[in-house]
Amino acid sequence: MIDWNRNIYRSLIIISFIGVIILTLFGISQVLSYLNTGADRTSMLHLAVSKEQVYLPKLKWKDTINPARPIEKQTLLNIEQDYLNAWYIRNAAYQTNKEDGIEDYYTKSARQNILKSIDSNKKKNIAIHSTTIHHNIALDFYSADGQLAVLSDKNVKEYQRVYKGNKVLLETQLQSDYQIMLMLEDGFWRIRHIVKEEAHPIDTVLQDNTLAKIVDNKIFIENKEYQIKGINYYPQKTPWDMFGEDFDIDRIGQDFDIINDAGLNTIRIFVPYEVFGKAKVKAEKLKKLEQVLDKAIGKNLKVIVTLFDFYGDYSVLDWTLTHRHAEQIVTTLAEHEAILAWDIKNEPNLDFDSRGKENVLAWLKEMTSQIKQFDPNHLITIGWSDIESANLLKDEVDIVSFHYYHDLNTFADWYDTLHKNIRKPIVLQEFGLSSNKGLWSPFGSSEDKQAKYHMQFQEMIKQENMHFLSWTLYDFEEVPSAVVGKLPWRKHKQKHFGFIDRNGNKKPAFEFIKN
Amino acid sequence: MKLKAHHIIPFLAIHVCMSIAFMTVLKEAEGVSAVLITKEKVFKAGSAIILKFKLSASAKTQLFLHSSYGSTAIDSDMSEGNQFTIPTFITDKKGIVTYKLFHQSKILAQGEIQITSNDKTQIFLESYIGPPSITAGRKDYTMQVVVPTDSYDNPLPDSTAVVMKHQFLNIVKERILYSKDMIGWTNIFSDDQSGRLLLFSKVGTTVSEESSVDVFPALPRNFKISSKRKHVYADGNQITQFITSVIKDEYDNIISDGTLVDFVIKDRNGLLLHTQGITINGQAIAKMLHPDQKETWEVKAYVSGMAESNVLKIEYTQVLDDFKVQFNSNNREVIIGPLQSFMEQLIPDGAVVRINIFKEDKKIDAKIKTSSEGMVRFLLQDGFYPNGNYDIQINALGVQKEYKNIILQ
Repeated sequence: MIDWNRNIYRSLIIISFIGVIILTLFGISQVLSYLNTGADRTSMLHLAVSKEQVYLPKLKWKDTINPARPIEKQTLLNIEQDYLNAWYIRNAAYQTNKEDGIEDYYTKSARQNILKSIDSNKKKNIAIHSTTIHHNIALDFYSADGQLAVLSDKNVKEYQRVYKGNKVLLETQLQSDYQIMLMLEDGFWRIRHIVKEEAHPIDTVLQDNTLAKIVDNKIFIENKEYQIKGINYYPQKTPWDMFGEDFDIDRIGQDFDIINDAGLNTIRIFVPYEVFGKAKVKAEKLKKLEQVLDKAIGKNLKVIVTLFDFYGDYSVLDWTLTHRHAEQIVTTLAEHEAILAWDIKNEPNLDFDSRGKENVLAWLKEMTSQIKQFDPNHLITIGWSDIESANLLKDEVDIVSFHYYHDLNTFADWYDTLHKNIRKPIVLQEFGLSSNKGLWSPFGSSEDKQAKYHMQFQEMIKQENMHFLSWTLYDFEEVPSAVVGKLPWRKHKQKHFGFIDRNGNKKPAFEFIKN
Repeated sequence: MKLKAHHIIPFLAIHVCMSIAFMTVLKEAEGVSAVLITKEKVFKAGSAIILKFKLSASAKTQLFLHSSYGSTAIDSDMSEGNQFTIPTFITDKKGIVTYKLFHQSKILAQGEIQITSNDKTQIFLESYIGPPSITAGRKDYTMQVVVPTDSYDNPLPDSTAVVMKHQFLNIVKERILYSKDMIGWTNIFSDDQSGRLLLFSKVGTTVSEESSVDVFPALPRNFKISSKRKHVYADGNQITQFITSVIKDEYDNIISDGTLVDFVIKDRNGLLLHTQGITINGQAIAKMLHPDQKETWEVKAYVSGMAESNVLKIEYTQVLDDFKVQFNSNNREVIIGPLQSFMEQLIPDGAVVRINIFKEDKKIDAKIKTSSEGMVRFLLQDGFYPNGNYDIQINALGVQKEYKNIILQ
């Protein structure tokens, strides 16, 4: 017995001894590895400064002819990148009133000017959210030793919004000319002087619409009046993921036949911002979109392309990235005959509360002007989620679009008021009723009720001679949570708006898909 | 105190009156318009700038300012006023300042004022010279860039006269040029001579710091080499020096000290040996140990990629005619030496001696040793060399001797 005890004690002592050794070794190794971490010496050379592009205003080199030295392509790219970074860092500094990064892109004497300004704004609790939209740069001078350059940047389009606390004081656009001296220090082209010069604005010439235009509140395509009779379209198998892995152009073609046979002439589709690659649009996605549009021509359908689906940032510093996104898609398709209109964003007014109304509206306003530059051929609209919002930005858009999911009986009054206020074509861009009666919603509408709803709506549409696009062709099996949230009864509702049920049978409402 | 209706009514009345008054002020403000009274539109940097506006109705306004380095919004000097003092961080900096007078996010008046650099203040000069070294010969140049600024660090306007002066040997040149795009600049070409170029510039009374640029000689021309040695014998011990002529560029400037000259030596068998020297006063000296046997060397020197020398042929004669060989201890100990030079002196330690051992016409071993006090001793131990007949060949300093049928016991 005593032996047993002794053995137990022995083993305990040995185990604890080993434990102490393990802990000590572990401690020492942790200390050593801590001492070995930290800045790598090569970081002094700024060889691996993160090169992710966060600021992409439109930048054009007017010329690089200068009297001193021809510039190398690589240096030109470096100057361009650092110059834009300098603007980004400065914009960010004025927005947050912090000086992060300023010392990388401004020389010691130049940075004082910005710091003083920020200091004063900080004291007054003023923050300035700003971005530049385009730059036209010419190289005035590049020194023989490649260490000093002078640029002139003409017609810099700037957007600024001044906040005091959370309150917007002023929103303004500026057009300025600058001359800038840069110096190569520590591997950065740093700004040494900036002088704002007298601006010589160039008039941007906007071409006339050639494919679609508005005359007397009516839509004309190739000089023929066009009445939108349409439907919002997602393929049945891949709702909200039309251009994903399971993209099936043949299936889409068959759907277009159904739509065309039903007597409709227009569809509305959605281009998701992130899926399409944000500021660098993915070629394969763009190709798929082009395939869909080509198919639509074949089936005599016009397309309203809704951009920026699921986008939700709107912050001023993010503008330029969205501009590049739009540029790549819109310029590629500017000549495409299938397109009727660019819908800038689906239901942006739903983001007013979370993102700030001024943010959303300013972004939309600038985006309309961007898209007009990229594509003079097609119309522009914004798909407001309710009829009250339809007045917003009515001067910027070509067509006023709104969605209506409320009571059928109040529609006529709403529409009348809107009609009186707006002298532009008005499109009822989404409407419909879910035939979701079932376990999740015992008091939901039946398929017959849905049919009746569409019948009544089509009567009104006929009376007013309205442009319409209903929601939607199919009942869906799956609805992503990003669309209506995770709650099953909401998803369930969203699954049953279709004119054709899950098994491919036409629901009673199909008869009233148009008037 | 009891609160009664007639107590409250006057309060209410005052309250209502004030509200109405306030409302009317606000209403008036809706239609407010404004004009700038300040006539002056151009200011020198550093001067106080006050902008005064005339409003059609009293309203609380603010002024948005956008200048070279950023934007700000300022309040009027007095709470109800329409006079704005522009902050110094804006008035100190050259450029156009855009102002926008606004009231409740509505712009009432906007325009621009201009701030110019202040030539009344002391002028500062920043000069940048580069590249810092150039080569002689009127083709290469360095660039002198001068950025004149006022004391608020604003670049002076275009067409500011800049005096650029430089000195080289006994030439002093001065030129006046006019700045453009914030800078004045000039190219300074090298002359035929090498030397040091001193530069400075001057705007008004301000003189920049002096800077210097080295003018290095141009590319070297081809040159000659010679050799120097104590004797012609291949003793493997003495040193031969190879010396270049004074290497010059095409303008007769002696090339820069420290220029590396590479000597390539080709021996009888076509093997290449290398040695190097760097120039001092145009001459480079390289050294090489004598060969240890009769040899003819062909030597050529290069300044890599730029210049080369003639080919120098140099011969070495054998240092000894013969040497003694002694076989002891049943021929298992071979003693070679003394190795004596032509002057009957012992060859310095370290001369290489080789023996090749053959058995039945097959080479079975080769041994190498170096001499010590003129002697070399080889032991052929019986563990390695069983008893029998061997042929032995001995090589030293180019002399070869053969002994056949040596019997090891």
